[in-house]
Amino acid sequence: MNSLERLQRRLQGEAVDRPPNLDIVMAFAAHHIGRPLSQFYIDHHVLVDANLAVCEDFELDIVQAISDPFREAADFGLEVEFPADNLPINRKPLLAEPEDIKKLVVPDPATGPRMSDRVEAVRLFRERVGGEVPIMGWVEGALAEAADLRSVYLTMTDLIRRPEWLEELLEICVQVEIAFARAQVQAGADIIGLGDAVASQISPVMYRRFALPYEQRIFQAVHEIGALARLHICGNTNRIIADMVASGADIIDLDWMVDMKSAAGQFGDKVSFLGNVDPVAIMLQGTPEKVYAATQYCMTVGGPRSISGAGCEVPDGTPEVNFHTQTRALCKIEGIDQ
Amino acid sequence: MNKNIETIYKGILDGDQHLVAQQVTDALNAGLSPDMILKEGLVAAMSEVGRLFENGEYYVPEMLIAARAMQAGLKLLKPGLAETGVKAVGRVIIGTVAGDLHDIGKNLVGMMLEGAGFEVIDLGTDVKPEAYVNAVREHKPDIVAMSALLTTTMPNMIHIIQALEEAGLRKQVKVIIGGAPVTEEYARKIGADGFGYDASLAVKAARSLIG
Repeated sequence: MNSLERLQRRLQGEAVDRPPNLDIVMAFAAHHIGRPLSQFYIDHHVLVDANLAVCEDFELDIVQAISDPFREAADFGLEVEFPADNLPINRKPLLAEPEDIKKLVVPDPATGPRMSDRVEAVRLFRERVGGEVPIMGWVEGALAEAADLRSVYLTMTDLIRRPEWLEELLEICVQVEIAFARAQVQAGADIIGLGDAVASQISPVMYRRFALPYEQRIFQAVHEIGALARLHICGNTNRIIADMVASGADIIDLDWMVDMKSAAGQFGDKVSFLGNVDPVAIMLQGTPEKVYAATQYCMTVGGPRSISGAGCEVPDGTPEVNFHTQTRALCKIEGIDQ
Repeated sequence: MNKNIETIYKGILDGDQHLVAQQVTDALNAGLSPDMILKEGLVAAMSEVGRLFENGEYYVPEMLIAARAMQAGLKLLKPGLAETGVKAVGRVIIGTVAGDLHDIGKNLVGMMLEGAGFEVIDLGTDVKPEAYVNAVREHKPDIVAMSALLTTTMPNMIHIIQALEEAGLRKQVKVIIGGAPVTEEYARKIGADGFGYDASLAVKAARSLIG
């Protein structure tokens, strides 16, 4: 059973040799092949090589074009710095003033340097492992993209102080994200992941107005062209699980502080929950024994469609033994003991 | 409760900074003491904001605009508070650690601390250990607060504590830490005195350390 078959069967609740592991791995992957982070962000060849190495060395069931939040924003015109071996930095928002929205130039995924680089990553994944390992493209949620362009702080205040203006911005963002998602699926992505991190910091009422409708539109477009949709919201999303299910996602990531048992108990027949091992306290800082126990616990409470993974990115510096332990634990899940 | 103070209290909960500024001005002109306006208006309202946040009724946007409104009032009160010799609950130096430019959590904690009556000196983001040491020497705070959003920058908290130790300043201050990847266990491990899971709980941690 290859990784793609494993995922497809698991999503249907069918028997598998072991639950698939769809950890998000970025900085760790770059350093795993000895490359500085800036190369991982700028050059899709490095991103692809890093992913393939991690996938093979640690038996992950995914290769992924996710890298940083600034792909679309940079092509909108946001100034992004790439320190040699550190995370990308933005020092000032593109939309410092509300009237700056009039100056926004909508990027094209085919020509925007950073967006097209991700599309090329997906294309290269398809050449290398298409049909064997699920290939995941990535887009920002409209609200997350607005925060990338405007800053998280200003976006948080816009939600209350100028909601109509924010909706105008979200409309621009959602169009870009739909086009970006389509371009990645056309290049060969099996899954489009959507990151909407700021959504865990707002009320359910706000989520339903400013995040959910746009997630639904992006996922509808993803489904129309035959790919799977994965929703990733970092943080505590216990209060919006039902709304996240309404997004139409096939896979919903749960961060470590979310009650996976409760989520799966209520909605496990409608959607696959992915998670939710603590990426820092367990994966980075925990012992193999803790990783083993947490991995098995999540799959036990997550039900027959659940997917393994850390609640968020597995941090750089995570001991390799902890990745291997995940696989070992997944092979020993009760009922599918190998 | 005095009507002005009642309006200030409600204005902060609603995040209406213009109303709060106007009402603080009116209250001062009416002869109310800055200390009373601070405690019964601003601090009481921010305490309620913290409670609403902990109960899941307020989220980051509501908390942020409430804190902005509080700051608009506090700015007007500060000269009067200094004149009348009102002392802050404690003095806090706060910053996001070296290598990390994320500031929303740090800002929120800083504002909530101000709203609890602390004097807050904000060192900004990407703050190196030597900057913390210099700030402790200069301002003699009761508490040093550090924030990190990234797992990659979180270890820099240790370097700051070590720098304070090497400078012979560690025993003079309490250290509290917070941020998305930070846990209570990590706080204990690196020798911090307190941990704030969120902005509201960071205030509680700071209060408990002041005694």
